[in-house]
Amino acid sequence: MATNKPTAYNNRLGIKGWVYAGKYTFERYLYIGHRLSGLGLIAYMTLHIIETANRMRGEQAWAGLMGLFASPLFKVIEYLLFAAAVFHATNGVRLLMVELGFFLGKPEEPVYPYKSSVMKHRPLTYIIMALAALLIILGGSSLFFE
Amino acid sequence: MRETRFWTWHLLAIPVILVLLGLHFAVQHYAPVFYGVSVEEARSFEAMIARGKDMTQFVLYILLLVAGLYHGLYGLRGIIRELPLSAALARAVDWGVFMVGVVIFLLGAYVTWWTFSF
Repeated sequence: MATNKPTAYNNRLGIKGWVYAGKYTFERYLYIGHRLSGLGLIAYMTLHIIETANRMRGEQAWAGLMGLFASPLFKVIEYLLFAAAVFHATNGVRLLMVELGFFLGKPEEPVYPYKSSVMKHRPLTYIIMALAALLIILGGSSLFFE
Repeated sequence: MRETRFWTWHLLAIPVILVLLGLHFAVQHYAPVFYGVSVEEARSFEAMIARGKDMTQFVLYILLLVAGLYHGLYGLRGIIRELPLSAALARAVDWGVFMVGVVIFLLGAYVTWWTFSF
């Protein structure tokens, strides 16, 4: 019989385990979104640091770069960045609250039908996602129409 | 214990990033809403240098750089280390991510210092 040798995390799905949500719930999809937005943000941060180093080439080089960023394509990219940051931040606050044990309900005897802490936490999840959506819409209206 | 400390720093970086990135967005991307100046004005060379020469701004930028890089790269390390890696490969990932962080930090800190001392 093949043995499943335990590793530090024992992620038997490998790379698929990064994005596979299967039968899991809404929170699992938020978790995947959190990771994807986080990866996007750290990639952007790196590019942003390299790009802002352009100031050392002088005023004209800087003005040229800022002119490029004023184009409609970069406005859309900027908005996507903003949306990713808002989603990551709001969902991160939710995760922080879970981590610290807030909004999970008091510990109870496991009596059937079981109440999961995820379901107790679900209303807060909806409120936070609604807040994220509102901020993303407001941010877009300010960015494109001011 | 070491991993708990890393995770605690990851969490502590959150409020720092929330506040400082919020300010950064307000100044750079939403200047018309918060400061009544156009985005072009806020991003002009003169305005950028004037901000960068301010000591408070200098300190806040470095703080955001450290908190953002730590939080982001620790997250990246966690994602990569979910793969079933050998101990040697896991250590290589740790060092690789750390070195990437150091290089990006040095570049960001140098640019911030260059602006401060312009």
